[in-house]
Amino acid sequence: LSLSLPVWALLLVLVCVELRGSGMASAAPICVHGQAGCHFLSLADLFDRVIQHSARMHSISSDLHSEFEQYVLPSRNHIGRINRHCHTSTILTPNGKENAQRLAREELTEVILKLLVAWKDPLWQFHQNMVHQDDFNNFSSNKALEMSYMVHELRKGVEKVADRMQHLGMISNSLSGLSSPETLDPSSDTSGESQAMSDHDLLYCFRRDSNKVQNYLKILKCRIVPENGC
Amino acid sequence: MWGEVGGALVLLLLLSEVLDCIGISPPGKPVLINCRSPEKETFTCRWDPGFDGGLPTTHHLYYQKEDSDGMYECPDYQAAGSNSCFFNKSHTSIWVNYNITVVAINSLGSTVSDPLEVDVMYIVQPNAPENVTVSVVETEESPHLLVKWEPPHEADTRSGWITLTYQLRVKRQNKKEGEWEEYASGKQTQLIIYSLHPGDVYMVQLRCKLDHSLWSEWSTTTHTEVPDYILKERSIWIVITVFSAFILLLVTFTLAMKRKYVKHCLLPPVPGPKISGLDTQLLKSGRSEDILSSLINQGFPPTIATKDQQVDYLLVFDSEQVTPDLQNGQTRTKNIDHGRYDHSLLMEANNKEVKVGGRETVEQGYSEGLESTFWKTKSLSHPCPQKKPFNNVTEMPKQAPVSSKYRSLSHHKDLLDSLARHLDYRETVVKSQSNCDDKHLSSQNIVTPLKAIGYVEVQRWKKSIGLQVLVPKMDKSQEDYSTVSVVENENVVLLKRETVPLNCTSCKLRGNQSEKCLQQKPCKPHMTVPAKEGVYIGSNGYVEPVTISHTL
Repeated sequence: LSLSLPVWALLLVLVCVELRGSGMASAAPICVHGQAGCHFLSLADLFDRVIQHSARMHSISSDLHSEFEQYVLPSRNHIGRINRHCHTSTILTPNGKENAQRLAREELTEVILKLLVAWKDPLWQFHQNMVHQDDFNNFSSNKALEMSYMVHELRKGVEKVADRMQHLGMISNSLSGLSSPETLDPSSDTSGESQAMSDHDLLYCFRRDSNKVQNYLKILKCRIVPENGC
Repeated sequence: MWGEVGGALVLLLLLSEVLDCIGISPPGKPVLINCRSPEKETFTCRWDPGFDGGLPTTHHLYYQKEDSDGMYECPDYQAAGSNSCFFNKSHTSIWVNYNITVVAINSLGSTVSDPLEVDVMYIVQPNAPENVTVSVVETEESPHLLVKWEPPHEADTRSGWITLTYQLRVKRQNKKEGEWEEYASGKQTQLIIYSLHPGDVYMVQLRCKLDHSLWSEWSTTTHTEVPDYILKERSIWIVITVFSAFILLLVTFTLAMKRKYVKHCLLPPVPGPKISGLDTQLLKSGRSEDILSSLINQGFPPTIATKDQQVDYLLVFDSEQVTPDLQNGQTRTKNIDHGRYDHSLLMEANNKEVKVGGRETVEQGYSEGLESTFWKTKSLSHPCPQKKPFNNVTEMPKQAPVSSKYRSLSHHKDLLDSLARHLDYRETVVKSQSNCDDKHLSSQNIVTPLKAIGYVEVQRWKKSIGLQVLVPKMDKSQEDYSTVSVVENENVVLLKRETVPLNCTSCKLRGNQSEKCLQQKPCKPHMTVPAKEGVYIGSNGYVEPVTISHTL
């Protein structure tokens, strides 16, 4: 081609800028107030989505637990279960409706995020263990994988909801410090405990915690956007 | 000392024996039935007390919580009835394991039940829905049932703590073996049921579920009667529609049956061409011989069918004999039946016999006439009535093709036409004299004229053999016509200039009846006319005068 050298240089620079720009930018474009080509979701819609997600997560955990109790632990007696300790027991969670309603929105959101963060690694480990063992069939191992994936997705969703709430001024900005995984993840403290926890206990604990997440989200939604479904 | 111990033991044994005989014992083991939470905020535990041992026994419920130490006793024994323990909101913690035991105590002892581990989250069972109302809604199309209800009053759905899903079932009361029809309602508190049977009583029941909890009990049955309804408007329309459809069907059927008439009425047939005498069926059959024969026989050349178009005869008369007849006013038309027979050529001249007949005979007559002075006609005389004097003429062969007959005699016809123009016309009655014996019928018809006058009878083809009669002009007064002396050849006729005494000629013809003849001059048959004039018939058919100097 007969293009001159400066033109080639300019083209090269432009290509480089383009590539760098795409690499440095955030993963998803931010859609603010209904821009063209971007489907704007309201806060209520976001809440509905995360609540549905948490409901599905809880149902899977419930199925896995019942399967485990039915096929793997038929002979084990149930005495002594009171001493079970979940690795998330250190996280203070409201144990009732009034307790949950008494909590502030930010605190409630924080609790939810803490729980979700706490379960990411143990579930992944559980799935890894299950693949190597022969106790569960493939169907259960798929469920375990899906469960760990869902926890991750749900956490991102709740973070989006929190961001939206902060945008709308419904909650204060005290949550910004929660996104860092070091403070939230208690696995560093309880890593030994999480590994000592048996599969059965893990399933039991996760079933409970997923239920907590679902209920907390519902309360939060009806407190913040009580238009429909409350 | 050993004695005292032994004595105490013996005393205890005796006491227990005595107690056994009386029938009292420590209480039996109570059994925890279940614990239930209707709204996920409180729960109630129930137990079975068991055998009380014959003594008044009290029961106590103790529980331990997962996250705290210590044994606690039931906060409320009465709220839920006997043998129950009610945990109110302050004493209820969700997502916490309870370890519950019941102890039965009487004066003789106490018995502890088996523990029951409870997590409130999983013992939830809501109460049945309340305020179930069923109403019949009558609309345009069809009535339907509208079922409305309310959640149980203790359930808190407004804060999002509880999500209820409902289920409905319906059954017709009249149907004995009917099954309940179940409908899922989701989170809605109303449902519409379609397809009702009028006059039936419907039973409706409802139940609900809290998240993933157990289903509640079915609500009390609500009975609703669906009234018998008659949609008047619609029924009238239905009747009208059916009636009109029936009429339409009838009309269509009738039209289909009578489609030929309909077709004739709507699309009248175009009249096809009609050729009289032409047989279309014969044409369709396709046989050329039949077609040709039918075409030709049927009327070509066109023949005169009506009577008024028929041509009258021109007869050649002998004036002596004929005139009385004529004076009588007879016309020859009366004597001759036109439709019957075919005329032969009649030429009378000098009472000579001339052959009359068919084609062959006529030709013969012609040929003879060439030699003789006069035409000769010869017919088979028979005393037959004149009604059919020439019936033997009909014996002539008819099978000869028409065209050839016509051709052969047309020439003669032209000759005769020309002769007729130049000669006197007088009617001649040709009387057949000889016998009517049919046995003597031959192809030759001989007519013996009464008197040879010299008139020419021109004939034409009749229908059957193709002879027809030329319409003459009868004019007796004309006497200036010339008479034919001799026909020289085919197209030359010699005329007499001088009037030859007719008696002479008639004598020859008559033969025996020559009385008058003798009085006259004898005629020499071969006497020739000194001065001759003739007519010459050219090739074109016109007659031209000719003078012949020589005598024959």
